[in-house]
Amino acid sequence: MKKIIVFAMLTAAVAFFVQHPAPVSQAEEMATVHTITLPTIPPDLKEGAGKDKVMVFCAICHSVDYISMQPHLPAKNWDALVQKMIKVFGAPISEEDAKTISSYLAAQYGTDKK
Amino acid sequence: MKSRVFSRRDFLKTASTISMVTAFGGIPVDLFASEGKLVRFPEKTDLILLTSRPPQLETPKHFFKELITPNEALFVRWHIANIPTSVDLRTWRLKIGGNIEHPLELSMDDLKGLPKVSDTAVLQCAGNGRSLFNPRVFGGQWGNGAMGNVTWTGARLKDILAKAGVKGDSVEVAFNGLDSGPLPTVPDFVKSLPVDKALEEDIIVAYEMNGKPLTMLNGFPARLVVPGWYGTYWVKAISDVTVLSKTLEEFWMKPAYRIPDNPCACIPPGTQPGKTVPINRMNTRSLIIEPSQGNRLPMGKEVAISGLAFSGGYGIKDVIVSVDGGKTWKEAKLGKDLGKYSWIQFTLPWKPTQKGQYTLMARATNSIGESQPFDHLWNPSGYMLNTIEKVDVTVG
Repeated sequence: MKKIIVFAMLTAAVAFFVQHPAPVSQAEEMATVHTITLPTIPPDLKEGAGKDKVMVFCAICHSVDYISMQPHLPAKNWDALVQKMIKVFGAPISEEDAKTISSYLAAQYGTDKK
Repeated sequence: MKSRVFSRRDFLKTASTISMVTAFGGIPVDLFASEGKLVRFPEKTDLILLTSRPPQLETPKHFFKELITPNEALFVRWHIANIPTSVDLRTWRLKIGGNIEHPLELSMDDLKGLPKVSDTAVLQCAGNGRSLFNPRVFGGQWGNGAMGNVTWTGARLKDILAKAGVKGDSVEVAFNGLDSGPLPTVPDFVKSLPVDKALEEDIIVAYEMNGKPLTMLNGFPARLVVPGWYGTYWVKAISDVTVLSKTLEEFWMKPAYRIPDNPCACIPPGTQPGKTVPINRMNTRSLIIEPSQGNRLPMGKEVAISGLAFSGGYGIKDVIVSVDGGKTWKEAKLGKDLGKYSWIQFTLPWKPTQKGQYTLMARATNSIGESQPFDHLWNPSGYMLNTIEKVDVTVG
């Protein structure tokens, strides 16, 4: 019986937490100067050869969760994506580093990943 | 500012002494990104993290039980890393330039001095549901939570343009915001609308969402609202309106945000389109919010199959619901009608009398007969998903 009560209380508490997260501060009136501070979210990349280059070059323009959220697609797709970053967005990546980065992406986030 | 990162998995670990599976009727393999990591950004509640810089944050499913999406829960999607984090209204101006008679610089007070209008309208990312594409495509891996229904208030764009005097040979109107690329080579996020579209009555420069100032991450101090069209045009933290005498063909208009130029905006999976056009009006969608994928329901007890439906500016005529994988259908009851740009809630009571597996489906049709396909329509960018969903539940 006790167990059931504890279970019910825990379930209710958990349900409350899910439905009612802590209050969010929001402006009611338009302030003359409105400022926010963005949080820092730690990177979540898999370990592997070439990760250091990814952390240096890819992170110039975007957080690396742009990589980890992607579906696992073949190496040629990753290679094309790296080329797009260089050609369209002007990522300052040498040909050699581009190869290292593409290999890392294909190995860790490609279809060959075991 | 305080931040925290708390994943569903951590949560399950924390609560491992009780059976969460029993408590919530199974962990759903859901049509929403419910397995994602939750994060809290300023002025926002816990949202699902896609990316942090620039931020892309998805609304958790339970908020879609509501007719109006709360400001703190509305999804966030920026394109380039330098996003505005501080705006001083003493210096902020909305600049109107280009192919016009009188260049203008409007302060927030000027903007608020124009006739104030409101639209309740669905804001939906072009890539909403991209993670459900088959075959998969690169891009923001949204579940179905890159959408929200908000009452937007501001000044009509046409009133602003009337003050500026649009010249007769104008073709498009371009919109730029305060965001910028982290390198000079990164194309600035600038979008354009055909001039006739830009002059429509319902397009507004909004400075309020649900009666309050915009949150910074949703475009403070003002953003464009293009009801019925995909979110890519709803430029946030708007700073410049430029009337053009030719079509804008910069990166974010071409080749980005293009769809195959055919009635379904679709091509055979894995192929490349021929001619493309800028993505534009939203297609028709319905989403079952309750019950969820994998739920176990009691036998002989009435439950409500409920959700929401919307279309690109033509209102919803009806939503039909099936509990047998599409063999038979019943018309659902529609909720309060907040206008043709809003979503509308639907509900159908259902009392299952036999144990077993059931596949629930919903299909909406708008007032001009546009509906949803049974088969997945594919395009290479993962836009405009509106396939009829399947929600599998167990009874008994």
